[in-house]
Amino acid sequence: MAETVLLMDSDREHGEAIRTYLQRHQYDVTVAGDAQEILTRLEHEKWNILLGNPLIDEEAAAGRIADLLKEDATIQLIVFGTTAQVDRAMDRFALDAAAYMDLPINSRALMLNMARAKNISLKNHKIDRYVQRLTDLHTARNHFLQLFDSVPCFISVQDRNLRITAINKWFKKHFGNYVGGYCYQIYKHRSSPCENCPVIQTFEDGQVHSTEEVVTAVSGRQYHVLTYTAPITDEKDEITQVMEISTNITQIRQLQDHLTSLGLMLGSMSHGVKGMLTALDGGIYQLETGLQKQDEARVSRAFDQVKTMADKIRDMVLEILNYARSRQMQYAPVPVADMVEHVMKSVRPAASKHNVICEVFLPEVPGIIEIDSVWMESALVNFLENAVDACAYDHEKPVHRVSLTVTVEPEEFISIRIHDNGVGMDQETREKMFTLFFTSKGSRGTGLGLFIAHRVIQQHGGAVHVTSALNQGTELTIRLPRKPPGSVGENGVSPLAP
Amino acid sequence: MSKKILVIDDDPNILDYLSALLTDHGYDTQVAPDAVKGLETARRFLPDLITLDIEMPGEWGPRFYRQMMQIKELKNTPVIVISGLSGNEHAIPKAVAAVKKPFDREELLRIVKEAVG
Repeated sequence: MAETVLLMDSDREHGEAIRTYLQRHQYDVTVAGDAQEILTRLEHEKWNILLGNPLIDEEAAAGRIADLLKEDATIQLIVFGTTAQVDRAMDRFALDAAAYMDLPINSRALMLNMARAKNISLKNHKIDRYVQRLTDLHTARNHFLQLFDSVPCFISVQDRNLRITAINKWFKKHFGNYVGGYCYQIYKHRSSPCENCPVIQTFEDGQVHSTEEVVTAVSGRQYHVLTYTAPITDEKDEITQVMEISTNITQIRQLQDHLTSLGLMLGSMSHGVKGMLTALDGGIYQLETGLQKQDEARVSRAFDQVKTMADKIRDMVLEILNYARSRQMQYAPVPVADMVEHVMKSVRPAASKHNVICEVFLPEVPGIIEIDSVWMESALVNFLENAVDACAYDHEKPVHRVSLTVTVEPEEFISIRIHDNGVGMDQETREKMFTLFFTSKGSRGTGLGLFIAHRVIQQHGGAVHVTSALNQGTELTIRLPRKPPGSVGENGVSPLAP
Repeated sequence: MSKKILVIDDDPNILDYLSALLTDHGYDTQVAPDAVKGLETARRFLPDLITLDIEMPGEWGPRFYRQMMQIKELKNTPVIVISGLSGNEHAIPKAVAAVKKPFDREELLRIVKEAVG
């Protein structure tokens, strides 16, 4: 494209001659003969080169030209005129002009200066573009960093050796500032890469991969995360790094599991409730007919049945309501000894009623455990009451004992062993004891107590192991971490999520 | 002569209820708490109708039915399923009726009367 040239020459003939000459050399030239015309042209059109005498009108045009030269480095000024005019122009524009030429113009000098001006203009144009790009890049980088840090996900970038090269604020907060460390060490506390590592897969095939993982924060808490990996390529399109983005779905999983188990529970409960309602119907029928027939025995039996069924239904409904209620788990540190004492205090009256001896064995320093006291104590009381009941059902042994033994385990766990020498359980009962279908108490049990108690232990990050033999007794070993797993916040959700 | 009905259910409260209900309405009723005793009683009692629960410990309702069908004297005995399980109508396809717990008394009596008179 031809350079656009504004030729400022009050001598029309002279101007036209130069214009013709320059146009032959592919310049697009417009002649402006006075200051007004110069100003109008400058206002409405873009020029690459301003050629001529910029001091046609020293006040207006010269000032505007000087401003333009400062605003836009791609506009070049070549001055020609009489010696006096050129001197004044030099004083006015100094280095802002590309060249100064005395009249008469040497055509060769003119062409060289025009070419030089054109080159400078081009170079300045390039520099402007580069500066603009750098500015845009800088802005984009700032935006990216803001996004990177403000996204509420754990983001890390790994190189081919699985070393972390960048992390965002969330990652730093929960996993520490471990740039340079291996991701499998930081996330999973492993000494080698994970099996089916999605980062490695992305390096291999350049595709996005996703997995669900359980990761461990610096606090020791474990999070369920949904992880996506994405390749980062260089200018040659080669994958140099992989970004790993993990969303914390611990609470969602817990809620999902809670809803699933609620559905499961309600499904299985309905069968039991239907039986109870039918039995209640039966009691009412026999009450009515007993009164009609004046059959006192029938009336009395029926009344007992109605009362029993109403109690059972009430108990079941209350347990279901408690189960469904999503009470926020409130973990707090308590001395293990205190927890045991509260629990035994609840159980001792029932035990002594059945002549069951209760024993407690604690280590010298049982230490502290972080639990939701309401749920945990209720669960332990449930286990102990079952142990007492097992003794009450047994008519073989002369002396019945229920013992609770606490032992300190390595890696911040404790073990609570509940032993009884009651009736014991066969294999089938033992396998089903924590399921919703199980109750060994016939009409007196709702089948929810052990299920819920077991779930409370699981929610605290613990596990229950059972050994039992028919007619000999049962031992429950409850292993609990001193610090329970939880979600990102201080508290977990309802204990009755699995 | 009164029609004979055998009630099989693992819940003693329900056995009590059905026994009283059916006896009050002129049926000669016997009860059994599980499939094994149900079969023993059925062989001896030779009922005109059997009411059968589905979910019972040990052998469940459909298994009792299959065994019953192998016995010449019992294979034509009509069976009414009385169960709290949803979908109980599919448990024993040849049952004359499937009644859900909790049931409407009058409705059950109507079904029984239709089955045996």
